[in-house]
Amino acid sequence: MSKDTGKPERLPVTVSKPIPLAFDLGELTAFDNNPLDPASYISSLETCLSTAARDGAQLLINQILTTTSLKSTSDGVFAELPDPITPLPREKPLPKPKEPTKWELFAKKKGISSLRTNSTGKMVYDEATGTWVPKWGYKGSNKAEENQWLVEVDDKKASKAGKDVEEFNPRKLSRQERVDRIKKNERQMKKNAAGKGSAVGSGSLKPRGGGVKKGKGRK
Amino acid sequence: MLRTVKPRNARSKRVLEKREPKVIENPKKTLFLRGTSASELVQTALNDIHSLKKPLTIKFTKKNAIHPFEDSTPLEFFSQKNDTSLVLFASHSKKRPHNLTFLRTFSHRTLDIFEFSLDPDTFLPLSAFKNQKPIIGMKPMLLFCGAPWDSNARLQALKSLFMDFFKGPTVDRVDVEGLQYIIQFSTPEIPPQTEVAGEAGPAPKIHIRAYLLRSLRSGQKLPRIELEEMGPRMDLTLRRVREPEDEMWKEAMKKAKKVEPRTKKNVTMDVMGDKLGRIHTGKQDLNKLQSRKMKGLKRGKDDGEMVVGEEDELVEKVKKTRRE
Repeated sequence: MSKDTGKPERLPVTVSKPIPLAFDLGELTAFDNNPLDPASYISSLETCLSTAARDGAQLLINQILTTTSLKSTSDGVFAELPDPITPLPREKPLPKPKEPTKWELFAKKKGISSLRTNSTGKMVYDEATGTWVPKWGYKGSNKAEENQWLVEVDDKKASKAGKDVEEFNPRKLSRQERVDRIKKNERQMKKNAAGKGSAVGSGSLKPRGGGVKKGKGRK
Repeated sequence: MLRTVKPRNARSKRVLEKREPKVIENPKKTLFLRGTSASELVQTALNDIHSLKKPLTIKFTKKNAIHPFEDSTPLEFFSQKNDTSLVLFASHSKKRPHNLTFLRTFSHRTLDIFEFSLDPDTFLPLSAFKNQKPIIGMKPMLLFCGAPWDSNARLQALKSLFMDFFKGPTVDRVDVEGLQYIIQFSTPEIPPQTEVAGEAGPAPKIHIRAYLLRSLRSGQKLPRIELEEMGPRMDLTLRRVREPEDEMWKEAMKKAKKVEPRTKKNVTMDVMGDKLGRIHTGKQDLNKLQSRKMKGLKRGKDDGEMVVGEEDELVEKVKKTRRE
């Protein structure tokens, strides 16, 4: 037991208590269930308390130094503490999971997986060129229609737009349609964020408008 | 209740995000304030506890006309405004001299309130003990002495309160050198016979002492611990209590399901706190390597594809320019 024989007097580091102390090392806390000595409590309160405190502190330090894993770094020796075990009330309620949007509910019902998370992600394989191209964004495949070198003039659409067939620019139309779609989506997103669209069981789950309205863009 | 404000800029948005409910919560902050009348004694006690609890504190200096047991909504308001879930309120009146009120909130609504009388005869402030105080922000060790902490229901609640109030932030590791002081809460076996207002049982008495740790060489692996009292020395007797509503308490004690943090591969942190990562670069295509740029190697405007005959023209042009 004794390693160094040089020092004659050795200070005791162990404390024996009738009831062993309980510890919550996560919060550096010791619970001493031994009653305070009633005689010394009445006669000399401070000594009674400080004796109990010293013993408790010694046992707590012993417990920390023996049961936790100590790691010495250049900054000093650190004791890795376990998680606290004493249940204490929270300050705020547990965070609620985000309510699904109207689209998310619809997609779940129909079994549609999100664009970003489905197997291919953002990229799609273009058969014609044999390369992978993004679905949207820079050089996105959703702009393929806009970049055609030859565009058919649809008389119906032109008349709907209220323009002369001569004046009507069918090239701009497809771009306008896409921009309108984006705007519509943004509107719906805003609505969802405001909490109007996301209420479960409010009305039908069908997306309103039935998709893209054609020929609405130009005036 | 306050109306919820939509953040107008990124900074206030960040602040609000920090205050949102989280699975792993921020350490609880404490608000210190006084009533319209407060004795010098309780004010000193308030200041001393404040200096123990720094830096997770907010302290008000003005007087507040608040009576927590009659109406705690002003404290709830302060709690919401300052994001503090613990409140310590000091007051003094003829009926309740030297009064310290501990209040906890849950979701900025009052969870429970405990009111204590501070014994003026035995109170000693921090300044009464002439010694080096621990560095600000050190996590204290706590010690609960006495059997009633476990056997008495009222004292169990008090244990929860004191632990919550004094424990400081929850950390996963602690510097052994940083274990500088211990706060002791002791309660006698048979509490002295003093009546609580509207309560039959004797009021529990609590002795709060704080000590500095001195570790001496013992000749063994473990050090010998000696203590030196640093203050404040407070003897508290419980006065009034407002217990938490069952519903709210249940909600507050809810535990989140353990979430295992996803380990990021190939990313480590070194001692200096710098992030180190191993990345894999693809094989470099040497054909596309940019070597020295020279006029002669420049490509034309239309990439290389030249019609027969055009080439000759180009050669002519170049010759012309050289002559000039």
